[in-house]
Amino acid sequence: MSTTVPAPVAGVPVGPGLSMFDPIFIGIDEFGQPVYLDVIYRNILIAGEPGGGKSGLVNNICGHGVLCDNTRLVLFDAKLVELGPWRDLADAFIGPDIDQGIDVLRRLLVVATNRYTWLLANRRRKLAPGDGMSVIVTIIDELAMYSTVLGTKPQQEEFSALLRGLVSLGRACGMPVVAATQRPSWDIIPASLRDLFGYRAAFRCTSLNSSNIILGQGWAEQGYTASDISPTNQGAAYLLAEGGVPRRIKAAYLSDTDIYNIADYAAWTRRPTSTPAGDTTGWEMAA
Amino acid sequence: MSKSSPRRFAGKSTGTVTVIEARVHRSSARNARVAFILTAVVVGVLAAVVAASYWHPIVALIVGALVGVPCGAAAWLLVRIWPVLRLLWWWITEVLLAVLLLTGWVQLAGHTPMVVTLLVVALVVGVPAAVPVIRRQVIAWAWCLVVRHRLRVCFAQFIIANQSGSLPLILWARPTPVGERVWVYLRPGLSAKDLEGRLDKIAVTCHASTVLIERAAENNAAYLRFDIKRREVLTAHVGSPLVDQIDPTAPVSASPLTVPTALDLPDVDAPTITLPAQGKPAGKKPAPTTSANGSKPAASSSAPEDDVSDWI
Repeated sequence: MSTTVPAPVAGVPVGPGLSMFDPIFIGIDEFGQPVYLDVIYRNILIAGEPGGGKSGLVNNICGHGVLCDNTRLVLFDAKLVELGPWRDLADAFIGPDIDQGIDVLRRLLVVATNRYTWLLANRRRKLAPGDGMSVIVTIIDELAMYSTVLGTKPQQEEFSALLRGLVSLGRACGMPVVAATQRPSWDIIPASLRDLFGYRAAFRCTSLNSSNIILGQGWAEQGYTASDISPTNQGAAYLLAEGGVPRRIKAAYLSDTDIYNIADYAAWTRRPTSTPAGDTTGWEMAA
Repeated sequence: MSKSSPRRFAGKSTGTVTVIEARVHRSSARNARVAFILTAVVVGVLAAVVAASYWHPIVALIVGALVGVPCGAAAWLLVRIWPVLRLLWWWITEVLLAVLLLTGWVQLAGHTPMVVTLLVVALVVGVPAAVPVIRRQVIAWAWCLVVRHRLRVCFAQFIIANQSGSLPLILWARPTPVGERVWVYLRPGLSAKDLEGRLDKIAVTCHASTVLIERAAENNAAYLRFDIKRREVLTAHVGSPLVDQIDPTAPVSASPLTVPTALDLPDVDAPTITLPAQGKPAGKKPAPTTSANGSKPAASSSAPEDDVSDWI
């Protein structure tokens, strides 16, 4: 059942003109204005009820990522179908297999550490667009599957610990993490991990408390609660990002056809390109 | 708006509602007196000092008094009629519009025959009414005029600000896709926090769905932005611009998948359904070897062997 695609050796996209350093269009706000999100240098936690529209937002970020130049995707999806369309474009696609997930997270942490050493050697503290290093976006759909359901208790704890390391390390070295789950309470995700996510998107919740868990304590009391989103209005969410106050947004919707069209196009522009000389495997090059 | 008209006697005779009005009125009278004295003294002394360099000091004093008292009287008058001036200022847009329209109508009627007059009026009224884009713009801007008055009603009626009863300055308003946006400069006695608790009442007064307050300037807490919402845009379908970036005729590319054949419950052996909750095997339901429809559960070789070994 676990579908794994080996990391494509020719995984350097040259066709698409987008960049992960560009703001990503994710939808409109309540005044009809477009909402953009700077995913690079930020970690995003997306949460809300099943059927709230989380995967729409995740797929927007994914779709942008695959069309970006010099961008690698690492996808975790225990449900397979949400991120499955992008599996051929990702450097790693992890299904319901926590061992593989732990391996990939370990590799990512090594890359992150190496990048910081590189940054230190270059007397810098942060990756810039001109560095030529690839952006490695880690996208996790249903984080709870890896932290509570799959594997044994020690494995789950190791997964959470490694992810915490990646979330805290990856920000400045071009390795952002986008995680989606249904209810990020402490029994699903350690609070220490949850609080590392700077940006939050709260899709519909059933209670004020659930909304507070996603956005942070106290927002519901100020009137920002995802429980007032209509259940029929899929894709509506509260986004806590720039500005410091949750904004009501509606995430852009990509139909299945759109997703597969984008995936096909991205595969078309990525795959036939020749491998740059000297680049043998993607991961070592990224490091 | 009724608040600004002086009602001294009503304020004195009745109860709590009009106490503020009386206080406001008293403060207006006191302010006028203070303005008179201050202006008269300051202007008089200045005038006397200037005059002293030309004439004898006593003559200069008399000149100073002669100059100062009329100036003080002017200041007193200005403060006393200030409520009326304020009222005029609030309605200045409407007053100007009415004057413009009436003048235009009179001039038009006086200089053209009746048929032409009616034709011009029909065009001026009919074209904006018939073209939806213009009509919506006109209505949106009309709402902007309305909403500024409604906000003032809010502040005057149930957001009691300070002892002198000064109202916030209601600045520019402009339409947004969902309603209007109004900039407001708060006077002492109010804060954004005070207003946040009354947003529902403000929405009711503005005939709106919801009202949102945001600070309009990072460095000034008094400068606020009111977003008045009448329409909902978040129920709309939002397309992604990524779709326009791609060529939908790209060749289909997908790595082959090994599709499992065990797609129904009887096809999967009981022991393999070990979804471990918290690490312990969760094969709670020992499924019968034969299911209700009598079909033998197929020993599914396509079940994930590697996963099973990990789970236990």
